[in-house]
Amino acid sequence: MNEAMIEMHHVFKTYPSQISALSDITLEILPGEFAFIVGPSGSGKSTLLRILFCAERPTSGEVVVHGIHITQPDFKKIYQLRRTMGIVSQDFKLLRDRTVNENVAFALEITGHIREEAKSKASEILRRVGLEEREGDSILALSAGEQQRVAIARALVNSPPLLLADEPTGNLDARMTLDVMEIFTDLHQKGTTIVFATQFTGLIKRYSYRAIRLLDGRKADSHKVEEVKATG
Amino acid sequence: MFFLQYVIRRTFQNMMGNLFSNLITIGIIAISMLIFSTFTLLAFNLTNFLKIWEDKIEVIAYLKRGTPSSEVEPLLKKTRLLEGVETVRYVSPYDAMGFMETKLGGQKNLLEGIQPAVLPPSFEIQMKKDYRNSTKIKEVVAHLKEIPQFEEIQYGQEWVETFSVLVHILRLTQWILGGLLLIAVVFITSNTLQLTISSRREEIEVMHWVGTSPSFIRIPFYLEGLIQGFLGGGLAILFLFLLHQGLFLYIPPSMQAWLAKIPVLFLPLETIAWILLGGMVLGFFGSFVASMRVLKYK
Repeated sequence: MNEAMIEMHHVFKTYPSQISALSDITLEILPGEFAFIVGPSGSGKSTLLRILFCAERPTSGEVVVHGIHITQPDFKKIYQLRRTMGIVSQDFKLLRDRTVNENVAFALEITGHIREEAKSKASEILRRVGLEEREGDSILALSAGEQQRVAIARALVNSPPLLLADEPTGNLDARMTLDVMEIFTDLHQKGTTIVFATQFTGLIKRYSYRAIRLLDGRKADSHKVEEVKATG
Repeated sequence: MFFLQYVIRRTFQNMMGNLFSNLITIGIIAISMLIFSTFTLLAFNLTNFLKIWEDKIEVIAYLKRGTPSSEVEPLLKKTRLLEGVETVRYVSPYDAMGFMETKLGGQKNLLEGIQPAVLPPSFEIQMKKDYRNSTKIKEVVAHLKEIPQFEEIQYGQEWVETFSVLVHILRLTQWILGGLLLIAVVFITSNTLQLTISSRREEIEVMHWVGTSPSFIRIPFYLEGLIQGFLGGGLAILFLFLLHQGLFLYIPPSMQAWLAKIPVLFLPLETIAWILLGGMVLGFFGSFVASMRVLKYK
């Protein structure tokens, strides 16, 4: 049996305002798996992803990513863990004063690659997401769907085995959503583990991947599944 | 090599991107360092003046009138043996009169009718180098006072003491002011760098996401602080030098002649190096505080 890519054991997250974001979450995601984290807004999807990439620490519980116990108090090398994962979010987080290629190459430059090498690798990855024609364009000249593809290209440029996507289609129309989903499906087929948080149940119906349902910070299998569907 | 190139390029981009706030910070550091350096220069010159003065200090011990000349030689020997005494010269009443006549020059006729005997004989005592300060002189004077043949001991005590106190006050002010300016400079540098950091917030967030090492993110900001401190310190030294030079241009000729005897020196190279280094340390510390506040890995 494969060692899990992600393990969460009895994870709780309560904010200082006593708002409980996650409650007793236990799950496992295997290498090469595509897993949807689905639930309505405020269900804890983003908190779960933020814990996986160490932007937040859980209040209690254990989290293991790539065999690294990231919840242990002596775990400090967040940046090393992040080099093994790509992160994509709803708001793209692109640098508006740079071109498409520069945005992608930036991720390589700041992890120690020389400029020319970074630019050429960025071109290669932009071809994979269908943006080879827009390389020299300013980010501001792109549509939302294209911007999201640049963000995906940037997340992939270091060839991470794990991709965490937080509502990556949240700001896209139906056609752009399908374009972006095509990229994710392709990546999954090539072996990348994908954790995809979304509130659109339509996506999970269309793609036959495992869906982990969250409601009010709990795994929805402790609630009625219909309840989740009703809110989605 | 790549890291160094990146750090230099990034630091330069950061500084050019926030040119106005950088110039303001450098200006404020320069003003603060100028105030501190001015006090350093004053204290340096006054200490130097005090040293010259102390070097010239001699103690004059007046002998009681009627001291037999047979006692002079043993007394000279006794005085020479005192700790801290370098040379002792006996000045007879005739020598004293001769000295006064020389001093009065063309007006020596004022001394007509005055007998040398009215002037007391004295010993001019030159101190050893280590004893030419008010504390040590007092020790020697105390020993001289124990010798009964001496009627009065004179030295520029009050002047030296007042001057020493003045130098001490100046040095104290310099360091108190220096301490306050230090806090101000750290605060200002730290705030400007926070502005720089927030203007690059999105970029830093991306850097955090892709796993850039913390030092890769922070070092350009540290270098920016160091450069700000260096330029601020350098400007302060330059202004101080211009002030120092300008001082001579605007001094009335009557005072220039007097000042010629007292050299008004500029800071020695070593002190200049310390001031520049101090500016850099302050700039670095400011950027360190800023990065601790706003560059936490998220």
